[in-house]
Amino acid sequence: MKYPASPERARFEQLAIVHMDAAYRLAFAILRARPDAEDAVQDAYLRAYRALHQLEGTDIKPWLLTIVRNVCYRRLQQRRGAGNVISLDEVMESRSAVATDPGLTSHLPSPEQAAVSTSEQALLAEAIGALTPVFREVIVLRELEELSYREIADIIGAPVGTVMSRLARARADLRTRMLRLMDRDDCHAVR
Amino acid sequence: MQCDDICDMLAAYQDDELSRDQRQAVTLHLESCRACSEVLTDNRRISGLVRRDADMSAPPTLRGRIGKSLDRADLEAASGKSADSWKVGRGTRFSARGETLGLARWIAALAAVCLVSILATWQVMGTAIHTDGIARDVLNAHLRSLLQDSPVQVATSDQHTVRPWFAGRSDFAPLVKDLSADGFALVGGRLDYVADRRVSALVYKRRLHLVNVFMWAAAAANDSAPVASTRNGYSLLTWNQNGATYWAVSDLNLEELRTLQRLL
Repeated sequence: MKYPASPERARFEQLAIVHMDAAYRLAFAILRARPDAEDAVQDAYLRAYRALHQLEGTDIKPWLLTIVRNVCYRRLQQRRGAGNVISLDEVMESRSAVATDPGLTSHLPSPEQAAVSTSEQALLAEAIGALTPVFREVIVLRELEELSYREIADIIGAPVGTVMSRLARARADLRTRMLRLMDRDDCHAVR
Repeated sequence: MQCDDICDMLAAYQDDELSRDQRQAVTLHLESCRACSEVLTDNRRISGLVRRDADMSAPPTLRGRIGKSLDRADLEAASGKSADSWKVGRGTRFSARGETLGLARWIAALAAVCLVSILATWQVMGTAIHTDGIARDVLNAHLRSLLQDSPVQVATSDQHTVRPWFAGRSDFAPLVKDLSADGFALVGGRLDYVADRRVSALVYKRRLHLVNVFMWAAAAANDSAPVASTRNGYSLLTWNQNGATYWAVSDLNLEELRTLQRLL
């Protein structure tokens, strides 16, 4: 049985589908696993659709991202509750172990700028992965979604001052980790 | 201003989220502090990398998945079924009860619609079948009368002879009119059996055509307008008048039957 799209459904799709990438990036920032991020976004969109009447105004993005965030943190809790969570510190250490394994790092970095850039990207991914979700989410909301501190504050349900200090902390962390990783890899320092 | 104080403001400075005064203070500090300037340069570069690196999009299959899950939600909403277990909370339980109530209401509505539909069909079909059955009986009685040596048991054009003949033979004393002046000559009367009952039949003759007019006590007292039909090429007309049900049947055309009906 197939029902014709209701006006509500059409409205929701028109408003929400364009933010699917943003929703996915936020979910991935918090969960750091693509299948989990997909599940979370799907779940969040269903919840948003059912609660569409609660949306005030037409700016769906912050509201939608709030729901995505809530779903993601609930999933994180479930993971911990299920005992199959891998602590980020453990991931960080195991990754470091892999990275320092001579078998895997024996090849010399290519002198080409592209290769250096790729190497930098890899280090960055590692450094971002090492952040805790609360820092990763503000980085993603700021750098990728280019939201204002006020908007970010609404989404994470915290004062603007908290957004400011978390971003400062997140960036300082990222820089420290990048420097440490580059130093370890004997690569160029971030200048 | 010390570097420690600047540290927390550096990110907001980079994002242009500081007040004018704060912004000026940080700018002033950066001019004199190389360490903080370097941190800001590094952070800007890292931000650029993050933007470039992590600019991922959702997998193309995700939209389809979302569409399907919304389809399911639409279906569930349409069938009033409680979608999935929304964990805990008083409000949640209340709304779950609401959905159960909605389901019950929906089923009740469906049942009512079915019942009404069945009754209406039964009523219409029943009436139609009943009427159809009578029409068949009436036509058969008419045809049978034509097969006999005489279509009447009492042959007379005298209405005052016909009417007393029915007394004691039928529970219904028909109004007998001689309509010879109008082209309908009274042939006589007869008893017949139509619609599971004994009925009175008057036979009129118009030119070479015979007309059987059956009549019996009506179930309903109110008069009704004549309803015409044709069956096997014969014309039939039925109406209720003065507490009697009339059926006129003939190989005459319907217009002439209507004329007779008006005269009776």
